[in-house]
Amino acid sequence: MTTPAAELVGVSQRFGGFTAVDAIDLQIPRGRLTTLLGPSGCGKTTTLRLLAGYSAPTSGRILIDGDDATRTPPEKRNLGMVFQSYALFPHLTVADNVAYGPKMRGVPAAERRRRADEALDLVGLAHLGDRKPKQLSGGQQQRVALARAIAIRPRLLLLDEPLSNLDARLRVQMRAEIRRIQSETGLTVVLVTHDQDEALELSDEMVLMRAGKIVQSGAPRDVFPAPADRFVAEFLGYENFLTLADGRQAAVRPEHLRIVSADAPAGEAVAFDAVVRDVAYRGVDLLVTLEATDPGGHAVRLLADHRADTATGPTPSAGDRVRLLAPEARLALLEPDPTPTEGIS
Amino acid sequence: MSQTVKQGASPAAGHGTSHGMRPRHPVAGTLAVAGYVVMIVPILFVVATAFTAGSTLRFPPEGLSLKWFGEAVAYTPFVEAVVSSLELAVLATGLALLLGVPVTLAIHRGRIPGKGLLEGLFLSPLVVPELVVGLALYQQLMIGLHLDNFTTLLLGHTALLLPYAVRVTGASLALTDPALEEAARGLGASPLRAFVTVTLPMLRPGLISAGLLGFVTSFNNVPLSLLLQTRDFRTLPVTMLDYVQQSYDPMVAAASTLVLAATVVVAVIAERTVGFAKIFGGINR
Ligand SMILES: Nc1ncnc2c1ncn2[C@@H]1O[C@H](COP(=O)(O)OP(=O)(O)O)[C@@H](O)[C@H]1O
Ligand SMILES: [Mg+2]
Repeated sequence: MTTPAAELVGVSQRFGGFTAVDAIDLQIPRGRLTTLLGPSGCGKTTTLRLLAGYSAPTSGRILIDGDDATRTPPEKRNLGMVFQSYALFPHLTVADNVAYGPKMRGVPAAERRRRADEALDLVGLAHLGDRKPKQLSGGQQQRVALARAIAIRPRLLLLDEPLSNLDARLRVQMRAEIRRIQSETGLTVVLVTHDQDEALELSDEMVLMRAGKIVQSGAPRDVFPAPADRFVAEFLGYENFLTLADGRQAAVRPEHLRIVSADAPAGEAVAFDAVVRDVAYRGVDLLVTLEATDPGGHAVRLLADHRADTATGPTPSAGDRVRLLAPEARLALLEPDPTPTEGIS
Repeated sequence: MSQTVKQGASPAAGHGTSHGMRPRHPVAGTLAVAGYVVMIVPILFVVATAFTAGSTLRFPPEGLSLKWFGEAVAYTPFVEAVVSSLELAVLATGLALLLGVPVTLAIHRGRIPGKGLLEGLFLSPLVVPELVVGLALYQQLMIGLHLDNFTTLLLGHTALLLPYAVRVTGASLALTDPALEEAARGLGASPLRAFVTVTLPMLRPGLISAGLLGFVTSFNNVPLSLLLQTRDFRTLPVTMLDYVQQSYDPMVAAASTLVLAATVVVAVIAERTVGFAKIFGGINR
């Protein structure tokens, strides 16, 4: 295997008595897009800043292209960072912002200009080079920040919540845009986000963090159907948690719980009886709240999506006694939660 | 989009008066007008008497002439004092900025303990009476250390201006995103280059306003300059004060009018080049 583009080895960051990043081991695969995903305050930005060199870890080592860079200052790391605030230089034009990096590297003026044009072209803003950042919309500023980071031909492109300041529609458009830029440039990208949809859609590799630790990592296709523990499952939108007959914990998504009539056969599914408490109409489906006793014998409250077009059973209404089917293949088995009472963040 | 609007609006919010030349509140409006009248009318009297053809400081002026301006410009003690005052104000302002900017950076960006204390220390000359400062400098520096009177005055004025330099440039710095410097570093700039190419341009309005404020404060200062004067180094205000005590002719009014005119010219240049809103916008923070 080739050396990872970057690697954190046992890296911790403490602020006073508080541990923001707790003995993290992380490899950033070359030429791929890795996301750091987790709730606010879990240490994503701190990890990114450690990679970029804006702070030195309290302990541990940071390798870039296999070389120890733990104490290398940011200007010598050659990494392109896009800040959450974009941090465009307000006194420089868009073109000069993008040409700033090459200028600091002593690239001659004509070549600088060419590189800035090329980077602006890549983000579709070649025509706005003479404007000041203030004269651009939020989405355009974000593209300029991206172009500025790319113009230095960085070894890694680091993006801190790049889409969080954009409105919902633009956010979804920019996901595709970031994917395109990544594949056109072949850059190694590390992207921080607290949005699981964003992470699932963008990642080659996703890294889930909680309270300064990595709780799970892998390709979205591997992580999504098999969350390691309840925290990850909740974060990925699993709403229902069951204890199975053998005492193991399992999570299941609302769209995978099937509501059938009380006497229907179970087949290849875990089946148990439930009472409908509430039915909310949501257009494409009904969101059904149920009370049930799970196979482990605990009383649970469950959410099920009921799609009239695919469902086989009767349309549920409040008070109905029904049977719930959770297909074996859809059950995500969870590791026992070591600290069930610990809060998130 | 909403972010752009917010950024544009927040600095303006600090100085509502720039839009509020016609306040809606009638009492406040009346008081404001009264305030301007109290400030401006006496100045107009001085300016008017400067143009008199007579030989006393009296209003209304007797006839119209420029002769007192001629006298003022030709009066050696005034001319020498202007040179002294300018020298002192320029040097003291420069020194205060040179010392004040690093202090500001340390307070706002540095990772040092006791920032509040440091800030308090550098603002303290604002509250210590200048006469006391002057006397202390006189005793310790001139008598004690045998420093000459210009050096002592320069140190005194620098100390006097330092709080303005720290406060005003600090207000500028507080308005700039710390990520700007980090972005510059990430793009390959050394700490010094990041400072020169990014931080310093952000500080420009603060530096200009601190410079103007410092210059005017030093130029107009009386208590320190009075205590630390000698026969061969006197500032303009002290010299004019001396003059008024001895003779009561309109030459002082002419000198004052010239100073006023120079101040107006400086203000107009400042407004044209940076704009008052930008210069003084940061001070309220
Ligand atoms: N410079 C700092 N000093 C003290 N605490 C900090 C500092 N930077 C971050 N933290 C704390 O570390 C934790 C993780 O922060 P951060 O990495 O910004 O989280 P995230 O980006 O995942 O939202 C937070 O609790 C935050 O308050
Ligand atoms: Mg963050």
